[in-house]
Amino acid sequence: MMNTFTRYIRGQITVLVALLLLVPASGAWAQIDGLTGQTTFNLTVKTGHIVTPDAASMMIWGYADDSTGQVQIPGPTLIVNQGDHITVNLHNTLPEAVSIVFPGHQVTASGGVAGVLTNEVPGNDAVTQVTYEFDATEPGTYTYYSGSHSDLQVEMGLYGAIIVRPAGFDPAAPTAYGDARSAYDYEFLILQSEMDYAIHHQVELSLLADPLVPPVIDTAAYHPTIWFLNGRPGPDDLAPAGAAWLPVQPYNCLPRGNPGKRVLARMIGAGRDSHPFHTHGNNFDLIARNGRLLESAPGMSKAATELGPVPDLAVSDYTQTTSPGGTYDTIYTWTGEDLGWDIYGTTNGHTCSSSTCTDVSPADGYDDGTGDACWDDTTYEFCPDHGKPLPVVLPDIKDLTFGMFWSGSPLLGNEGALPPGEGGFNVNFGYFHIWHSHNERELTNNDIFPGGMMTFFIVEPPGIAIQ
Amino acid sequence: MTRNSLILGLLITVALWSGGPLPAQADVWFQCPTTAGGSFNDDDGDGMIRADAGEIINPVSPNEVCMHLSSGDGFVNMADKVLEAPNGHEQYVFGFSNVTDVPDSQVMEVGMVHSNFPAPTITIKENDEFYLTLTNVGMMMRPDLFDPHTVHFHGFPNASAVFDGVPDDSISINMGSSLTYYYNVKDPGTYMYHCHVEAAEHMQMGMLGNLYVEPAQDGSSIAYNGRTYSRFAYNDGDGSTGYDVAYPIQVSSFDPNFHDMHIAVQPLPFAFMTDQYPMINGRGYPDTINNSDPDGLANSFDGNKSQKVDSLITATVGQRILLRISSLITTNFVTLTTQGIPMQVVGNGARKLGPMNNTSQYYMTNSISLGGGEAMEVILDTYGPDGVLGGGDDIAPGTYFLYATNVDHLANNEEDYGGMMTEIVISTP
Repeated sequence: MMNTFTRYIRGQITVLVALLLLVPASGAWAQIDGLTGQTTFNLTVKTGHIVTPDAASMMIWGYADDSTGQVQIPGPTLIVNQGDHITVNLHNTLPEAVSIVFPGHQVTASGGVAGVLTNEVPGNDAVTQVTYEFDATEPGTYTYYSGSHSDLQVEMGLYGAIIVRPAGFDPAAPTAYGDARSAYDYEFLILQSEMDYAIHHQVELSLLADPLVPPVIDTAAYHPTIWFLNGRPGPDDLAPAGAAWLPVQPYNCLPRGNPGKRVLARMIGAGRDSHPFHTHGNNFDLIARNGRLLESAPGMSKAATELGPVPDLAVSDYTQTTSPGGTYDTIYTWTGEDLGWDIYGTTNGHTCSSSTCTDVSPADGYDDGTGDACWDDTTYEFCPDHGKPLPVVLPDIKDLTFGMFWSGSPLLGNEGALPPGEGGFNVNFGYFHIWHSHNERELTNNDIFPGGMMTFFIVEPPGIAIQ
Repeated sequence: MTRNSLILGLLITVALWSGGPLPAQADVWFQCPTTAGGSFNDDDGDGMIRADAGEIINPVSPNEVCMHLSSGDGFVNMADKVLEAPNGHEQYVFGFSNVTDVPDSQVMEVGMVHSNFPAPTITIKENDEFYLTLTNVGMMMRPDLFDPHTVHFHGFPNASAVFDGVPDDSISINMGSSLTYYYNVKDPGTYMYHCHVEAAEHMQMGMLGNLYVEPAQDGSSIAYNGRTYSRFAYNDGDGSTGYDVAYPIQVSSFDPNFHDMHIAVQPLPFAFMTDQYPMINGRGYPDTINNSDPDGLANSFDGNKSQKVDSLITATVGQRILLRISSLITTNFVTLTTQGIPMQVVGNGARKLGPMNNTSQYYMTNSISLGGGEAMEVILDTYGPDGVLGGGDDIAPGTYFLYATNVDHLANNEEDYGGMMTEIVISTP
């Protein structure tokens, strides 16, 4: 049912993507945004407000980086190096005690008062500092979140991501865990959470009534109605990182890559619900959980579903369930293999040349047949399909409804004719593949579809720079 | 106004539309290409047209397979046949119907208010070149709507945008017209399909179906654990995914409030979508085991046999059962068990677990959990976990149950003793 709300959201997406396209491609899209180059982090818990795509204002609690003082959800992504000794100093501006736990790390806490899980900064105490220290001994993807009154504070937004780079990390040849099994070309964070607007509304009313009294909220009545990727509900997550109109939500979530590239998606379950996250376009290989490679013994390897090695116990799937507090590192590669038609067209004179063209009979039982590893050396075109026309006749444009991310052409990198006002938000004429929670109710923002836990992976044509 | 006269009126309205404001291009066109002088016909009446079954004269490929689906609306009945006697709660649905054997000129008329739930099961084979035509016949009962529809082949590897069926980044077909999808099918496994247009709505409304790809290894005889198989879940190399009987098991659920609001032309409750009719293959227990009519269960609206898929699982002692389990629930996770018969999981996400000739990543379990969009292959061996006759773990003949261990799912709305459950009947050979 296409209603006025849907049209409103479409308008919102239009504005956001138009703005997005005005921002030049930058490294911010190809590597994960966060705090780098430091081992000491100074954070303060503060209140803030976000405006959600349904035009509601929602109070949140977040961790602010003291160097800017800007509260944010999720909290700053702490990007550190294996072997670093990490110090996190925490202050508090709330009327109730707060803290941080760092699952997967051996933490020493000092200062403040003893809480149930860890040391806490008391409420209504602008002075006290709690210091958490740990050694980042193992590379991988981790999370941090409040260890105090967690049922409310995590709901309010007190969570964030930690990325530990492996020893010897080389940005020019990056890996997640130190060897070729976790090598990647581009990496993206996909931190998933959800909120119950009613709880946030009650918290705000309570603090308005008396900012010095901790809110007493029945979180058992929790019923989330809005869903987030990296702290933004769709379609806001498509807007640029650091967008000026989203000051409390600095991170975007718009994974992109060229054919044949390995894309590392670091998924985190940061809220209190599980989500079945479905990657359109292809299967991924789950290579690590909670900061540990899925290997039967150190160094054990197997061929990936698509390209290159992965740990031997990696699992290929098209939907990854993320559970609360869990982290999931996945490698995703799109090649267009075996589509049965030439995705670059048959009339433009392009060539397909593969120096590695072999007829392998892989050990995984897939991709059998001739020429199954025949990719063009630079474009990753699947050469056995070269020159094959699209096998069907597409309907007249008057019989179709078009998506705003549709290029007008089935070909990758091609623009096709579209009626006025249709399409237009796919500047490189790539393939947009939606990545989303497959509990489809979660594709809404406070009762309005579409939105929520959705983004797109963009298969950008060969030659389009991602960095 | 009676329902029949209402339908007639709407038919006339749509007929007028078809001849009036719709562009002249709008046409039903089942694309099943042939070379000169060719033709096609569903000779065996299985709802699929296969070149390798001789159903296509002069096919463009020996692997050509064609199918024609219509998408629109319809009605089904829930299994609460006591509290909502005698037929069970009638639900308005969106859905698909198989019109492969219907002439193009009659597809609109046949497809209207004729949706199935679940959608027709699509069974294809590795190396098939699959031409799937979708014709949008419109939503007769909601003439205020102009929704396009799509097919999303969920899990199709290395998908292109044009055939992925996501309205935001692709094309979707308007009422009165046809769009043909093409899939060069190379990877066996359990997939699923659904409409992706306004997915939270169209999927809750029932546009969901089973879809699986049989491996090229099928037809070769491979012995495994002393028994020989010719049908397999995957190209396993060692016969370890061999089976005697296979059943697609797709779980889904309906929020009756959402459906009732829909037919009442009211704003739809997304935020408070709460499913109350948990189902397997579009039915709650005990309808799941009702195989009395091979054409399916008739609905109470117009008698259309719209629920065609029963889920009664039968096997004899000594056989291995393959369950192709998928979830297209739009609201929550579900956990399934097969009480009394251990499960062996051999694949997920249309991928065998572990490499060929290797069973090290298979695992035995008593339950599996799935969110929406997840699928697993599960083998039930009636010789028990040891896979051989004797040994004290053979499954005794009798009736067993496959059901949701989220036990609130064992109800058809307010009527208990039903819901997401079916029977596994093991008999002596």
